[in-house]
Amino acid sequence: MIDCDVHCAPAALGALAPHLPEYWRLYIADAGIRLTGLPIAYPPGAPTTGGPAPADYEELRGRVLDGPDAPRLAILNCLTLFETHRNPYYAAAIATAVNDWLRAEWLERDDRLRASLVVSTLDVETAVAEIDRLGPDPRFVQVLLPVRADAPYGNRRYHPIHEAAVRHDLTVGIHAWGRAGTAATPTGFTSTYLQDLASNAQMAQAHVLSLVSEGAFARFPDLRVALIECGFTWLPPLLWRFDKDWKSVWREVPWVKERPSAYVRRHFRATTQPAALPADPVQAAEVVDMVGTGWLLHASDHPHVHGPGAERLWQALDEPGREAVLAGNAGAFYRLGG
Amino acid sequence: MTDVQTRPAGAAAVRPVRLVDTDVHSAMTRAMMIERASTRWRPHFERFGLRTAPITEFYPRARNAGMRADSWPDAPGSIPGSDRELLVRQLLDEYDVDYAILNTLGLQDHNEVPAFAAELSRIVNDWVVEEWMAHDDRLRGAINVPHEYPDLAVREIERRRGDRRWVQVLLPSAAHDALGSSRYWPIYEAAAATGLPVAIHTGGLGTHQGTGWPSYYLEEHVSYALVMQHQLQSLVCEGVFETFPDLRVVLTEGGATWAASVGWTLDGAWSLLRDEVPHLRRAPSEYIRDQVWFTTQPLEEPDEPGQFLRAVQHGRLADRLLFATDYPHWDFDSPAQSLPGELSTEARAAILAGNACNLYGLPREREVAAP
Repeated sequence: MIDCDVHCAPAALGALAPHLPEYWRLYIADAGIRLTGLPIAYPPGAPTTGGPAPADYEELRGRVLDGPDAPRLAILNCLTLFETHRNPYYAAAIATAVNDWLRAEWLERDDRLRASLVVSTLDVETAVAEIDRLGPDPRFVQVLLPVRADAPYGNRRYHPIHEAAVRHDLTVGIHAWGRAGTAATPTGFTSTYLQDLASNAQMAQAHVLSLVSEGAFARFPDLRVALIECGFTWLPPLLWRFDKDWKSVWREVPWVKERPSAYVRRHFRATTQPAALPADPVQAAEVVDMVGTGWLLHASDHPHVHGPGAERLWQALDEPGREAVLAGNAGAFYRLGG
Repeated sequence: MTDVQTRPAGAAAVRPVRLVDTDVHSAMTRAMMIERASTRWRPHFERFGLRTAPITEFYPRARNAGMRADSWPDAPGSIPGSDRELLVRQLLDEYDVDYAILNTLGLQDHNEVPAFAAELSRIVNDWVVEEWMAHDDRLRGAINVPHEYPDLAVREIERRRGDRRWVQVLLPSAAHDALGSSRYWPIYEAAAATGLPVAIHTGGLGTHQGTGWPSYYLEEHVSYALVMQHQLQSLVCEGVFETFPDLRVVLTEGGATWAASVGWTLDGAWSLLRDEVPHLRRAPSEYIRDQVWFTTQPLEEPDEPGQFLRAVQHGRLADRLLFATDYPHWDFDSPAQSLPGELSTEARAAILAGNACNLYGLPREREVAAP
């Protein structure tokens, strides 16, 4: 079993201090900056939160890596950078510190661990430098981007990030949530956490439209994009309309040589948590069949909690489907070997 | 004409209603609107005008300005949808449409001074009455309202309520606030009290927060479905349907087959988070099922038509789909060709006319002139 979304996070910025230059240690101390965790994504005490993310390796091992259901490999996603900062230099410094912390405190401790490297989306040049710095380390398998963004990720400003990811054979992971200062919808802020949670699905779809329409896969044929924690049952209706519209206005985007669904099927995958599925097992199986079991990557999303969807998905899969979703798809997509 | 029952010579014949087009775009040019403006607002219109750039300026329609190539009237300066005779010939007569609902867009992108916004709605609505509905009894109207000023919007609904040819209230799918916001509730209250559905039509002032602005019309056009999904989530979660159980909402030109996925997403989250929305007494998908309708154009088209039937079943949409052509826009859906051939006769008849007759209270039979 390969777990494609396991969270970890420093309990406080002090944990990153050994990995920060003096300028930023003073900056943090003088400004009194605190790590608030991810209050917009997983508010303390919310039924979805399931407790704080593991803050050190021992905690993770006790919760996830020991026991009969332990994954063979687990991909760590640290969302500490998904905050509100608009200072691009600070964001870049924290990204580097998080990555060095991941390497020193986690990857060095257990060879079953893999990680997403984090980058600041505010400055593409430093993001590329960070990818080039860590890309050669095979334990980093992905570049992590927040689903809330200043521009959709097909936009040309992000092309160097995709190019660098491909250069090091890394997947680009677009993960739910992101900047609290950015609304979750095209029409502004919502008034409930429930809506924000649901809106991750639409935002992921907007990035799919952008990456295909802007020709990211024509430019970078080896680019792979994982959609993490954004659901997946929205896929069939999106492709039905995307293909239909492309048939009519393809001349606007002549670099999109194949039907959009062909790119989406080949270059994207989605993680399984949360799984928005119906209670009716027949319908659940029909939906999973339409999405395609080859498109799904198993994820526990530890420590987060998402209701009955995961069990419905498990029941909807046949034996080959379970093997593909649990390990085969991720092994091939992330090129994890064996 | 095989369905026309023969009556004594000279009398009208009655035929069953077989085709209701729920999304037809009559359209006014700026010059036509100025001509109808009051002396108070004409100078303002001419000097200041409509300042918000229409969405077509942001993302030029990839083909023929987004219009059916044959829909441009001959008269200089006219635009598709501005000429009643052409529309009647190309749509109503060509396809034997029994009823067509006129959704006159163009005010949805604009957020003007309140009294001017009210004036614009009055101009459009008077024009629809005088130039359209008075001339052809197959035409029905959607009431334009100054939606950012709900008190004025309610006044416009009150003004039109006596005329049964108005069958719905028109809102854009993107406004200043999410449409579930309590700011807009007076509009829903008035519509529900008047028995008029609220049609939320793709368009308006989308500002692409969340993931930022796309580059191409292709992305923009597909993402109209995403905006509609957000608005549906907003209406459900804010408690609009719970508060106004008589309110019926028609999501127009935003797609339909995603309804099931949105319902499952909300139900799954609600099963954990219901304490956050104590005003919701039922699962979110139940409100969608009971109070939301969907127009067909542009209909999602899976390669396997069987998947469309599944999506209809999963979304419980069989009695909720309303046929629409979207005349005169480029992606016009022909009633003869756009619905999947695998639909049963009954299902097809319901989508083409029956569901709309039920929703809008349209007669099941219509008098036509004797042949």
